[in-house]
Amino acid sequence: MSHDHGHQEGAHHPDAPSEIEARTLALESLLVEKGILTSEDVDRVISTYEHDIGPMIGAHLVARAWLDPGYRERLLRDAPAAVRELGYEYRADTRLVVIANQPDVHNMVVCTLCSCYPWMVLGLPPTWYKSAPYRSRAVSEPRAVLAELGLQLPDDIAITVWDSSAELRYMVLPERPDGTDGWTEKQLTAIVSRDCMIGVARPEVPALAGKH
Amino acid sequence: MNGVHDMGGMHGFGPVIAERSEPVFHARWEGVVRGMVDGTAGRYFNFDEFRRVMERMPAEDYLRASYYEKWLYAIETILKEKGVVTAGELATGRPSRPPPPPARKQSPPQQTPRFNTGDRVVTRNLNPKGHTRLPRYARGKRGVIRSLRGSFMLPDANAHGRGPEWQPCYAVEFDASELWGAEARPEDRVCIDLWESYLDPEASA
Amino acid sequence: MAVDRTIASLDGTEALPRKNGELVFQAPWEGRAFGLAVVLNDKGAYPWNDFRTRLVERIADGSPDYYENWLHALESLLVDRGIITGDDIHRRTAEYQALERDPVF
Repeated sequence: MSHDHGHQEGAHHPDAPSEIEARTLALESLLVEKGILTSEDVDRVISTYEHDIGPMIGAHLVARAWLDPGYRERLLRDAPAAVRELGYEYRADTRLVVIANQPDVHNMVVCTLCSCYPWMVLGLPPTWYKSAPYRSRAVSEPRAVLAELGLQLPDDIAITVWDSSAELRYMVLPERPDGTDGWTEKQLTAIVSRDCMIGVARPEVPALAGKH
Repeated sequence: MNGVHDMGGMHGFGPVIAERSEPVFHARWEGVVRGMVDGTAGRYFNFDEFRRVMERMPAEDYLRASYYEKWLYAIETILKEKGVVTAGELATGRPSRPPPPPARKQSPPQQTPRFNTGDRVVTRNLNPKGHTRLPRYARGKRGVIRSLRGSFMLPDANAHGRGPEWQPCYAVEFDASELWGAEARPEDRVCIDLWESYLDPEASA
Repeated sequence: MAVDRTIASLDGTEALPRKNGELVFQAPWEGRAFGLAVVLNDKGAYPWNDFRTRLVERIADGSPDYYENWLHALESLLVDRGIITGDDIHRRTAEYQALERDPVF
């Protein structure tokens, strides 16, 4: 999603907006002039939904851990503090614990007894996570469940499943994939999906490298 | 209780089906239910009580209900049982009393854990009719203490208005073969967070 | 979180486009249209259900483009409530299209 108005070096005029862009601009500017709202009000709402709710917090933690070994160590040792370290509020009564994937161990999270989920960093859980098939089979047939969700794990990787039965909430720190050398934190965040942090997917480098 | 909610290891529910690009709430009332629970938890009931009530849903209904239908059942039941919502209030749609303040967050007392990291333990074969967080698939099983988690209120007591009963909690690691038999992969593990009263030291030879 | 519950009320065909749980905006104007509708409701310009009803109607008759329907629903609601006039919108839109105003959000 880029703010691409077709700027080129030395050009003075942006491309004319499309009709719908112009209508949106018109509406916002009229409402601001009437004192009904400010552009900052609108910015704040958009930002909340893009940055504060949903898996973006988790993805940020992961990207920072990939880039900074000291942060990774702090994240694994005291996740709530590590969340606050990046400037987020840690709003939960339960305690987050981050579990790191290893080359030979893949971690998965479930709550067999109900549907406990690390919402404070991943937002609200998907329906499948709360479903009877996942709750019943993640602990007993993890490999089959991963395959159904699109992840074929190599045979030489062991699986540890974490059943969130108490007041701890688990999030997986996936391994950083090859082909991401020199990437910025923002670029890395973009490849960390919610499913990677539940442990049912692994981050992937998009086919067209460098297209960000 | 040994209810259908205790699903770990069950068969017959079919494949996991993920809805891509699913909305956060599938129906507008779901958001309302979530809002009601968020707004009342901690004032009228604790989450252990809430889970306990959900577990008491008749088995058929529990299996058929969606996630938020279960929540709606639980919030209706618990507020009725606690006398939070009266007939008069339901009739008028207006509250007749102000809500109680939220329960004060309690701090755990200092406790000395019975077990240490690396200790071999065996889970007790507990089958309470009331609430517990020791899943059926992990009863009478041998495991190893992987981490000490600190002290938490025992849900078995907290869900029934007893306590608070604080106990050390542990991340206990089980071999998949211990839980599921010889056909499980020997290198796979399941980790469960368990309260101290769920555990005994593994008897030494 | 009031905003969260507002968003939560949009379900089924009128659900906000998401990918992997996160809101998706294909272009900046979509994010602005989203934000405008939410802020206006927050500030009491209209009950959320009024907006929602129009959104649902537009989706039923309108284009397959979600946010186009969203914007249309918002405009018509504001006009009917006398907050903005149709003339104002047309005039201002034309100014932006003619680059008489700088089209930056």
